[in-house]
Amino acid sequence: MSTTANASATKASGASLTPVFIRLKLSLLRNGLRQSSKRKAVWITSIVFTALYAALQLLGLIVLRGHPHVAALTVLLAVVLAVGWAFVPLFFPSGDETMDPTRLAMLPLRPGPLTVSLLAASLVGIGPAFTLVLAVGSVIATAHGGAAFAVGVPAVALTLLTCVALARAVATANVRLLSSRKGRDLALLSGLVIAVGIQVANYGLQKLSNAGGMARLEPFAKVLRWVPPGSAMDAVRSTGQGSYGLAAAQLALSAAVLALLLWWWQRGLTKVLTSPDSSTLAAAEPERKRVSTGLARLLPQGRTGAVMLRSLRYVLRDPKTRMTWTSQLVIGALVPFLNVARHNGNSYWAFMAVAMVGGQMYNLFGTDGSAFWLVMQTINGPRDAYLELRGRALAFALPAVPYLVLLVTALTAFTGHWDTLPEVLGLGLALLGAMFATGAVTSALLPYAVPQGNAFKNVGPGQTSIAWLGLLGGLLAASAQCVPLVLLTVWLHTSGHHGWLPLLLPLGFGYGLLAAWTGLRIAAPRLARRLPEVLAAVAKA
Amino acid sequence: MGRDGTSAAVRIEGLWKRFGEQVAVAGIDLEIPSGRFIGLVGPNGAGKTTTLSMVTGLLRPDSGRVEIAGHDVWRDPAAVKSRIGVLPEGLRLFERLSGRELLTYTGQLRGLPGEQVDRRATQLLDVLGLAGAQHKLVVDYSTGMRKKIGLAAALLHNPEVLFLDEPFEGVDPVSAQSIRKVLQQYTASGATVVFSSHVMELVESLCSWVAVLAGGRIRAQGTLEEVRGEAATLQDAFLELVGAQGQAAGENLDWLGGGVR
Repeated sequence: MSTTANASATKASGASLTPVFIRLKLSLLRNGLRQSSKRKAVWITSIVFTALYAALQLLGLIVLRGHPHVAALTVLLAVVLAVGWAFVPLFFPSGDETMDPTRLAMLPLRPGPLTVSLLAASLVGIGPAFTLVLAVGSVIATAHGGAAFAVGVPAVALTLLTCVALARAVATANVRLLSSRKGRDLALLSGLVIAVGIQVANYGLQKLSNAGGMARLEPFAKVLRWVPPGSAMDAVRSTGQGSYGLAAAQLALSAAVLALLLWWWQRGLTKVLTSPDSSTLAAAEPERKRVSTGLARLLPQGRTGAVMLRSLRYVLRDPKTRMTWTSQLVIGALVPFLNVARHNGNSYWAFMAVAMVGGQMYNLFGTDGSAFWLVMQTINGPRDAYLELRGRALAFALPAVPYLVLLVTALTAFTGHWDTLPEVLGLGLALLGAMFATGAVTSALLPYAVPQGNAFKNVGPGQTSIAWLGLLGGLLAASAQCVPLVLLTVWLHTSGHHGWLPLLLPLGFGYGLLAAWTGLRIAAPRLARRLPEVLAAVAKA
Repeated sequence: MGRDGTSAAVRIEGLWKRFGEQVAVAGIDLEIPSGRFIGLVGPNGAGKTTTLSMVTGLLRPDSGRVEIAGHDVWRDPAAVKSRIGVLPEGLRLFERLSGRELLTYTGQLRGLPGEQVDRRATQLLDVLGLAGAQHKLVVDYSTGMRKKIGLAAALLHNPEVLFLDEPFEGVDPVSAQSIRKVLQQYTASGATVVFSSHVMELVESLCSWVAVLAGGRIRAQGTLEEVRGEAATLQDAFLELVGAQGQAAGENLDWLGGGVR
């Protein structure tokens, strides 16, 4: 297909170009079926789910027809769709190959006809079909009378075109960022943004489904009905209520914004097709001097310090590691607090945070990827392996221990049960130590790859069972290690020796240290023996 | 042993590696002399990378023995790892470190004293033309710069034998020249460089000893003159050895170039 596209494009004038691009887009869609059976299944499932979701939305909108506040909902929906379209290319830069205009830079094409053809090609796909269904549903929900339905046709067209043009224009304006390393780093944050977005949407939907919930939308709708493509959607309602002048103004506004978007996009295209690409610019960029954080001087000398510094630098600089740490720390704190607030629970919920943070220890070398070869070249035996594992564990402990202390203290302050502080903290530290121990062992025995360029994949191809085995087995083993301490705590409580409970803090701390040390000692010779196997496993992504 | 120039730098016996059904390396026996610039040549898929990975301890062989400077790679890894430097192909570096940070990190892992690492890193960065980019993250380096920083990391502990997998692949002529200079100076001091390549001109101009690998087996080994034999160039000898000669595909492209377009 691409050869036909090239051949036709070479001779292209404006008219012949559009079918070429549409055919190219159709081929790309069709090629989704030509992948491995697993990816094909994922591809088909995603289409089925999108279709089902769209059908449900359509049904919902039809049911809402005649609801007094449904117009506010459709206006909001149109604007949310447009915002979604604007963000999608930033998070999935490689999602649509026709999105990247730099691929066309070598072809003799003029920006004018190119804009038209690319716009037409953009209308082909799952996303545009989904948007079309929602827009049609919105018209059905709000249109009253023949005139309103007639206005619905341009309203749907304007909504769809505005969404698509917005995505294209944003992608083109940011193509330099998107094709650069910083852009790819940014895309890795999408997982976090989408997770938060789902929470917010969930919360919003719950509020809306309460009695009189949709009335809350009215103040937003008052503003948004003048924001395209919301204005195009609202024109349908205006027409139904006989305000033809208002409807005309809203449609005109949408059309004007669409024209503006197309103009912006075309200007961006011209610029992209005639200027050097990002890799050239990045190479020519003057470098900024990196200031040493001073951290290096505080850490111990030798292998331990080097390993710690490298690990901590990766927490700050590697987008995937940073995202994992941020989400674990935030979720690990959020869940206990929400549960304590909701169920009047106790500060033992802090163990949830221990499990989340400690869980990162279970695949220490996965984030190294194939760079692990550099480490293994310097591991000459169990001693080096022990120092490597200990350095990584210390780099984890450096943020994790203060975090745990702060969290438990804050939770205790929140619940007011200050008497439980020593035992919760003590047991928490013991559990953390036990997780360090089992984590070191699973890292050596059950390593797996962590794909770097993908925000949603945390396990390499075909390694899911290894990852689960390591995590579940490790968690069980770590919990089992804490049983003596837990039994002691229970006994102190039931036998009335409450005065001894504060002793659990130093005891738990010592127990955790001992557990971690033992685990590292057990893991080190195994790691030293299995270096090539670990490399083969973590380099799989 | 080692730098005296007489004994074998690398001794390989009966090296095998299978990946599932496919045999990547099918019984290699090879004795690489020390103190020379050695070329390991072969077409794509010949087993060069697999062989080098097994020789340097990165990949466990199915069977066979590898000795470097008299030490068994799999029985005595500690003695081997301190004596070799490696620049693998297709494996990443710690790319979120700057060039200098990467060298410091590698040096510390190797147990070199801090100021020695600093001094050597500065000199290597200078000689390889990376001084201006030493504080840039490796992830932002070009292919040539990556190869150079990888080479610097491999040389930092002054190894006896250096293994380089396709060190000139994707490297611009200026970077290639600086890599060449460093390697020539290094071998002149008695050290051994083993590098793989499929660019025969390069091997011919750099190496004094060559091993030809195809289909997972050694097809020829010896000094450049011995392997070249009667052929005019190493390229001709190589094509004959791997049986790829006379595959001219000319007559179907008679429209190409000149005439009506």
